[in-house]
Amino acid sequence: MSLDIDSHIRHSSRYVGRSVPRREDRGPLTGRGRYVADIKLPGMLEVVFARSTEAHARITGIDTSEAEALEGVVAVFCAADLSDVNTFPDYIPYIGAVRQRPLAEDRVRYVGAPYAAVVAVDRYIAEDGASLVAAGTTYEPLPTVADLDQALASGAPKLYDHWESNCSFDVAPHKPEVDRAFEEADHVFTETYVSQRQTGLPMETRGVVADMVDGTLTVWSSTQSPHMVRTTVALMLGMPEPQVRVIHPAIGGGFGTKTHIYPEDVVVPWIARRLATPARWIEDRMENLVASVHAREQRHDVEVAYDADGTIRGVRCASMLDMGSGEIFMPGTAPVFVTNACITGGYDFPNMEARTIGAVTNKTPAGAYRGFGIPEGAFVMERIIDRVARLTGTDRADLRRRMLLRPGQTPYVMHGGGRLDSGSHTESFERALEMSAPRLEQVRKRHAGDPDVRVGVGYANYVEPTSPSYHLTTGHWGGGDAATVRVDPDGSVRVAAGLSAFGQGAETTAAQLAADALGVSPQDVTVVLGDTERTPYGLGSWGSRGAMMLTGSVLLASERLLDKARAIAAHMLEAAEADVVLEDGAFHVAGSSRPSVSWAEVGTAAWVRVVDLPDGMEAGLETSGFYHPENLQHQLDDTGKINAAASWSNGTHIGIVSVRISTGEVTIEDYIVVHDCGTVINPALVEGQVHGGVAQGIAGAMYEHFQYDPDTAYPRFASFMDYLVPTCAEVPHMEVDHFESPAPEQPLGVKGCGEGGTVGPPAVVAGAVSDALSEWGVDLTECPVTPVAVRAALRAAEANRGGGSGAPP
Amino acid sequence: MTIIEPISEANVEVTVNGRPHRHRVPARLLLSDYIRDTVGLTGTHLGCEHGYCGACTVMVNGDAVRSCLMLAVQADGAEVRTVEDLAPAGSDALSPMQQAFHDNHALQCGFCTAGFLMTLESVDPAEWRDPERLVELLSGNLCRCTGYQNIVAAVTEAWNAYDGSGGSDDG
Amino acid sequence: MKPAPFEYCRPSTVDEALEALGSSESSRVLAGGQSLIPAMNFRLTDVSLLVDINRVEGLDAVTCDSGGVTVGAAATQTRVLEDDGAASVVPGLRAALRHVGHLQIRDRGTVCGSLAHADPAAELPAVAVATGAAIDVTGPAGERRIDAADFFHGPFWTALEDGDLITEVRFPAPPPRSVTIVDEICRRAGDFAVAGLVAVIEVDAGAVRSARLVGFGLGGVPTRLQAAEAAIGGWAADHPVVTLTEAVMADTTDAFDDIHAPNWYRGEAVAALTVRAALRALATEEEV
Ligand SMILES: Cc1cc2nc3c(=O)[nH]c(=O)nc-3n(C[C@H](O)[C@H](O)[C@H](O)COP(=O)(O)OP(=O)(O)OC[C@H]3O[C@@H](n4cnc5c(N)ncnc54)[C@H](O)[C@@H]3O)c2cc1C
Ligand code: FES
Ligand code: FES
Repeated sequence: MSLDIDSHIRHSSRYVGRSVPRREDRGPLTGRGRYVADIKLPGMLEVVFARSTEAHARITGIDTSEAEALEGVVAVFCAADLSDVNTFPDYIPYIGAVRQRPLAEDRVRYVGAPYAAVVAVDRYIAEDGASLVAAGTTYEPLPTVADLDQALASGAPKLYDHWESNCSFDVAPHKPEVDRAFEEADHVFTETYVSQRQTGLPMETRGVVADMVDGTLTVWSSTQSPHMVRTTVALMLGMPEPQVRVIHPAIGGGFGTKTHIYPEDVVVPWIARRLATPARWIEDRMENLVASVHAREQRHDVEVAYDADGTIRGVRCASMLDMGSGEIFMPGTAPVFVTNACITGGYDFPNMEARTIGAVTNKTPAGAYRGFGIPEGAFVMERIIDRVARLTGTDRADLRRRMLLRPGQTPYVMHGGGRLDSGSHTESFERALEMSAPRLEQVRKRHAGDPDVRVGVGYANYVEPTSPSYHLTTGHWGGGDAATVRVDPDGSVRVAAGLSAFGQGAETTAAQLAADALGVSPQDVTVVLGDTERTPYGLGSWGSRGAMMLTGSVLLASERLLDKARAIAAHMLEAAEADVVLEDGAFHVAGSSRPSVSWAEVGTAAWVRVVDLPDGMEAGLETSGFYHPENLQHQLDDTGKINAAASWSNGTHIGIVSVRISTGEVTIEDYIVVHDCGTVINPALVEGQVHGGVAQGIAGAMYEHFQYDPDTAYPRFASFMDYLVPTCAEVPHMEVDHFESPAPEQPLGVKGCGEGGTVGPPAVVAGAVSDALSEWGVDLTECPVTPVAVRAALRAAEANRGGGSGAPP
Repeated sequence: MTIIEPISEANVEVTVNGRPHRHRVPARLLLSDYIRDTVGLTGTHLGCEHGYCGACTVMVNGDAVRSCLMLAVQADGAEVRTVEDLAPAGSDALSPMQQAFHDNHALQCGFCTAGFLMTLESVDPAEWRDPERLVELLSGNLCRCTGYQNIVAAVTEAWNAYDGSGGSDDG
Repeated sequence: MKPAPFEYCRPSTVDEALEALGSSESSRVLAGGQSLIPAMNFRLTDVSLLVDINRVEGLDAVTCDSGGVTVGAAATQTRVLEDDGAASVVPGLRAALRHVGHLQIRDRGTVCGSLAHADPAAELPAVAVATGAAIDVTGPAGERRIDAADFFHGPFWTALEDGDLITEVRFPAPPPRSVTIVDEICRRAGDFAVAGLVAVIEVDAGAVRSARLVGFGLGGVPTRLQAAEAAIGGWAADHPVVTLTEAVMADTTDAFDDIHAPNWYRGEAVAALTVRAALRALATEEEV
């Protein structure tokens, strides 16, 4: 984007680039943050959902009479009551249509599927009612499908009678050059890599409050995308969009889980409309673990062609996504495409043939989780490199060096069309190696005397697509956001943006941008987000898009506003527009000693003293901009390729671990991150994103795992006792450094940094532990790396050597 | 007060943040819901309702407890303190720990923050300041946003300032 | 996650408590509530009447003498953890309590409640068995004293009968010159153990003289590792480790299998902990 403001801020920013303290902090620090569960309206009723206790079954009867008879229960609604609600749209043509109804009708496909809503005067009684509904529900169990193998087996029980099989999509490009690589290479190995089921797990669960007054339905939702909720709720309830207002109050985290639009987002507003009473539903943690999307469960069957000197000639990878039941809007299918698109990371590696498959199973629907497929791909690529290094006796770091994109090699088009516009791929890796070398020495020394401990190091180099297209994910939306900027008569600035936020500090960022654009201080800027009635359309907060979308839309609107303001000021100064400059928050005639005109004077002229406006000028001082990144593609080109991201951040993670052989316990001793997200608007916020992302990555690398019973598809988890969110004691200290390679085509060169942190840890931990255990030939192919997994790997290694079951002591 | 006959509702007198409250509550009402819904102080959050996340931590008679694992009737006669009581009244100032959280970017979404602050408020810094002990203390509260690093930095800074031993350089 | 309806009472004497407990089919003692209330929030436990013993007079005492430590039913884990006298007489208490949950859990959770709850992965029941604790119970059948060795019957299942109340537990002091070690493998700080060990080890002249070894998280109840106790006599740091590990493996062949670990892992883990404990005990002797 070429804006005057862009170069102006690049040269003389006062706030962009600084750790301006957050304006979002005060509420939560003092107990006055307002989250959905804090909203209480007069006469508000509480909703609790009855959820399937079967993984796959026909519902043969729901007896609601006992619940309805309970004192305090107002109503019980089942699918039949919602006949005036539309079906969730199936927008993506190439995946199986699930025709999802807001409440399950006669068939349930996972434990946790909502099939009835109990409305009562308080939550306790609503839960009593839901228990009675559950007791009154009868099922006819159907055979279950608990994993990809079961789903894709011939003759497998089908989840959808109108499908041919459980396969939702299978996209298989063929690349002759990869065939050639396999013919020519010295060696080939095959392997299967697995990434386990996890979830974003925000500390605040989901929640919806709805109220219909004077024909307008107001919905407070803990969502990452209020405008998309509005569009969808209006569609589902058959209402004009202007009569639906969606507000997200403070949000206690989202991490992708709250990008989806869930049945509850539609049913609770429907109840409020139907009963003409405010209604509220707050997800509890037991529901959250089965009723909010899961993610990351993928399997990768790879074939790798390599030469004796370690050169990797070609890779074929079949990436398979376990979609759960698939009953979620937007569908959770996109991450596996992102996995394949990003799998080669920052490596110069075009000879990749990646097939993408998705299948449904009787588990919680899969969806978005911060990282959105990138960690799964990075895991596969880094494990492949380590394997080839080991097989060929090549140094692991050297092999990566040989493969990484070098300075000057960007823009670089990846195997699937992703266009790495810029980056510091080699530089980040070298810097991280430098940082890790002395630490590795220290850790080795520290454990030198302990025969039970081994030390290892693991690497990950990755790319992070930022501000991606939402078309591939939704089949409907695109990839831009709008903002409005207004200067009021007193000279204060108001920015309203379609972006939303759940802790990233978007309000602070928007204020920094507007302050620099308009030459004011951030204190003079009021920021409005997360209310469809007060903000222009935007897609919300996901895909590491916040920083770029805010920058693009706020600067675009600001530049337009500035043009008009300058014209007004020039008129008041009786000068030519071209001679008027904005300095120190006021307009002057360049090089003249005439008094300046302040923003308040310009604002007053625009709105109040319109007599001061130039002849014929329209009054008012409010402008909008819709920012859509220029090179962002939404559809595949003729060759089946696409650059579905506006820019690409990159990074390197290096981790040093110690492993206790006798127990399999793994300790991350040091964790190093060097990342590059282009121009940084607020360093403290970026660092915070890195820390939080890495912690979630470590959660996936070592702790969190949704396990299901293979015979019944029944969840083997119910609480935080079995879904292991890491505490302060499990997350290591992180050393963070960064490069800044500005995005050449984006405003201020901003890229985005929301997700990169999550990408490295699985590859790093598995690589480091395999390195530590290399004397036994251990080479891990899946996460989480638990003490049990480590001991199992050691036992298997020992058994392979014919050493019996007795693993090393 | 003794309750000999089984009851399903009880009168409770609870002092919350220095102010006395009297209510009639169902026996099954959790203290967390009493604080949030009955008293109306929503700064205390619910993240799990089974004792694991710590978001609901409040002080009862000086001890940090999970308010989701206590009944409102059990708080009869008790002094309860919540996050709303931490900042000095009648001014814009924050408490030193709140300020340190702000200065160190130790919160993002802020949902977990009250629980951390109340846990910290309940302890004697001298006993917990050793870095390993501090990690042990903080491990009773989950945070999904920050990766904990800045929380550790904030507490270290606040506690160093507290006894005047000077700034901290480890984070 | 709100509990189903129940009735509540808060007696001030043991007799009142017993009467209340006897008055209803599914009455339950409410002590710290740190296990009971989560189960009720999940609606996993049917309770018609909660008898809150927190204000029963005299139940919150913690007393120490040279022969042991007595902990009343309402005494919190934090109180015992912070009691220096208790820690010096029965070191296993403090060592175990450090692994129990978190500060906020221990501030309300009770030592006796943990025994009554009998979670197979809990630390305190293993300490009770390792030290030979005596549990005082009163109930419809009158007062009785139950040896810890006879108290635990299975997961969440004890010698307590309907209407029984533990009034206190007495942990005897371990033999002089012994070292008590509580060690465990757990996935996260404060979690219940995947597998753990309480070891009371007597050391003499650079070798183990004898030891009480009690594993937890292995089976339904705290498990005396008898083969290992036999094998460890005379063991010294330069002796082969396999004598100990093989004995522990023999003791743990029927350990649990669940989502946290398969049974072989639990055996291996406790074997490793046993070696670790023996080495630590021997090292402690050197220091003294
Ligand atoms: C997040 C979290 C982490 C935890 N981590 C651990 C851990 O690592 N290790 C561990 O051991 N525990 C752990 N616990 C459990 C904790 O230690 C409990 O406090 C303990 O298990 C039960 O004690 P209580 O006083 O809270 O009992 P309650 O919850 O009040 O009662 C538990 C059961 O025992 C019965 N009962 C209680 N007292 C008596 C009595 N005097 N006589 C007869 N019956 C009685 C009750 O009726 C009930 O059935 C954890 C709990 C939580 C919430
Ligand atoms: S809500 Fe109480 S500990 Fe999570
Ligand atoms: S700041 Fe979001 S959970 Fe801690």
